[in-house]
Amino acid sequence: MVRSSRSNLILGTLVLAFAAAVLALWIPLDTQTGLIEKVRRQVVIGDALAPTVAALFLVLGGGLLVFIERKAPNQPKPSMAGLTFIARLLAIVFVSLLVMRFAGPVAVWTTNAFQGGDLEYRLLRDTAPWKYLGFFLGGTLMISGMVSLAEGRVSRKAVLAAVFAVIVMIFIYDVPFDDLLLPPNGDV
Amino acid sequence: MGTLDYIWMGIQAVFQGPELFSLFGLPISVTIVMILAGFLTGIAVGATPGLAGPIAMAIALPILISVFGYTPDALLPVMGFLIGVMKGATIGGAVPAILFNTPGTPDAFMTTLDGYPMTQRGKAKKALRVAHFASASGDTFSDIVLIVCAPFLALLVEAYLDLPEKTALLILSLSFIAAVIGGSPAKGLISTGLGLLAAYVGTGEDFYPRLSMGSPSLSQGFPIATAVLGVLIIGAVLKELEDLWRRKRDSGEIPAHKDEGDQRLHGADIRRLLPYVGRSALIGTAIGALPGIGSTLAATLGYTVGRARYAKKKRPGAPEFGKGASEGIAATEAANSSVSGANLIPVLSLGIPGNAAAVFLILAAESIGGFNPGPSVFRFTTDSVNPELVIAFGLFTAMMVANVLNWTIGGLFMRSMGVMIRVPKHILLPSVLLLTLTAIYVQETRMEAIWFAVGFGVLGYLMRTVAISPLPFVIAFILGGKLEESARQAFAATGGDPWFLFTNPGAALLMAVAFAVIVFSARKTKEVA
Repeated sequence: MVRSSRSNLILGTLVLAFAAAVLALWIPLDTQTGLIEKVRRQVVIGDALAPTVAALFLVLGGGLLVFIERKAPNQPKPSMAGLTFIARLLAIVFVSLLVMRFAGPVAVWTTNAFQGGDLEYRLLRDTAPWKYLGFFLGGTLMISGMVSLAEGRVSRKAVLAAVFAVIVMIFIYDVPFDDLLLPPNGDV
Repeated sequence: MGTLDYIWMGIQAVFQGPELFSLFGLPISVTIVMILAGFLTGIAVGATPGLAGPIAMAIALPILISVFGYTPDALLPVMGFLIGVMKGATIGGAVPAILFNTPGTPDAFMTTLDGYPMTQRGKAKKALRVAHFASASGDTFSDIVLIVCAPFLALLVEAYLDLPEKTALLILSLSFIAAVIGGSPAKGLISTGLGLLAAYVGTGEDFYPRLSMGSPSLSQGFPIATAVLGVLIIGAVLKELEDLWRRKRDSGEIPAHKDEGDQRLHGADIRRLLPYVGRSALIGTAIGALPGIGSTLAATLGYTVGRARYAKKKRPGAPEFGKGASEGIAATEAANSSVSGANLIPVLSLGIPGNAAAVFLILAAESIGGFNPGPSVFRFTTDSVNPELVIAFGLFTAMMVANVLNWTIGGLFMRSMGVMIRVPKHILLPSVLLLTLTAIYVQETRMEAIWFAVGFGVLGYLMRTVAISPLPFVIAFILGGKLEESARQAFAATGGDPWFLFTNPGAALLMAVAFAVIVFSARKTKEVA
């Protein structure tokens, strides 16, 4: 936990360190032209200048935080418990997105394995019910998981609410349109 | 083509655009219907704690673009919808503030101070009427100022500002936004720096996309929707969920208060409220015209000024300010509502967004194409029609149409929205998260965009956790490309003068002001500390 009176100091120091890394490493190593370049006898602004200006904003902000606003009142108090909650929430989002991405292709693969067909998800990605499989399963898992985490328990109500919300979203984004693709159907 | 011709064409573009249906033989254009739909959606969204106008805009934008396509004809219906949402959400925010002591939007917090005590006294409907009257008045006043000022400001910019000055003006705007949003110039600068840095990933003029770390995913840069929606919406949803989890809000019964006595707003009430509404509308408009200063500050200032007047003019027996005085509601609502129109002055005249709603208008304009908000919009060409100017006057017309809707049906619809408080937030927020991710995917059609958006969402959450406002990030992300392009042109135009920002007197003055804004804000913060 960051103590309230020192959170600005810690944040400022982290920002200064990040800005130093950007200026000393990221920009020189990952940009092909310098601050100012000579191209065909003309002096032009290089690709490194704009990110350098961005980093200078960070240096200025971090410096002000360390030297001027170090003892500002009402500094935030990020808590480890809150961060842990968000980490769990993000884990749910991560797993749900993986389910969303792979549920359709896995279902096709399983169908082929049992029925001996040679279906391809890519060819079915605009065909119901295949095109809804990943979005439905991943979306339901995401919403019901997050609701359950907020409630502190898994409930049937959370799953039903998630199913309802995902079906509404399918009706909003997919059913009325021929040219919109639900995730993950643009990738597979 | 004269000025009046352009105004008339703008009005016609709204009323005589593609017809959706006819009513008693009268053709109803699709733009009018979209303004109405946006307005009603905005009220419902504003009245729902945990939702806000930008969320509705984020979710609706890809649908609207899919429906209307990428043609200039799509601009007015899509932007009309967004304007409707912006205006509806402004008045909708007052509903839960008055009825349930829960502000629907942050700037409605001051409304709770007098609104909820009025509800407790059985005057809920009257409080809602006062809020609606003040809000609609402030909003309309602000729009009139926008319509009058934006073209003049744009003409001044075009006439007197050359490339170095335009670059300096962008730097001044970014410095100003960094210094004033969130109350900490240091954190504002960090937010701005991060936004600029993100904007420069995978871009540049060289063959190799800079800062892309050799990754094909980064080499295309971050799509604007992922950065804007990630930081603004997903970050807010994550923070709200954490707060919700932290509070473990008791799900007790919402106390019911019965309305008693006269709930109407009489002429005498209006005459009594007008001085408060007038002062707050002026304050809100002046504050709104400066990019980045939010409606929360306007509401606070309007409320403070109203309280000072009330102390002198209070009738014997009338409730104290902050304890159920309708003047308090009027002062707050007029101030925060008058910010929205004036906030579009820097967008339309300079291309610099000042608030989240303006960011979405720019996003819509960039997605559809054919309209680039900025000084070039207001070129009153006489030999040929400037289509962007017609769109600009069409937008002004759309705003006035939304105002008419606000004055006529807004109050009625607003008073029926008390039910939105019952929408369970812990189910609503995860649904909004998935809706936002889906909205991003249908625009970008690649899973990478979703991962980027989640990443920006985490950044937005972390920024909120350490009290860094995400708005400078978003504005810097949008303006980053424009700033670099303007600097490149100015550099070339001055013959490669590296000091072009300081050798040109106008640019030097703007840079000095930018520097002074940061120094002054930092010193003020130090004094408070």
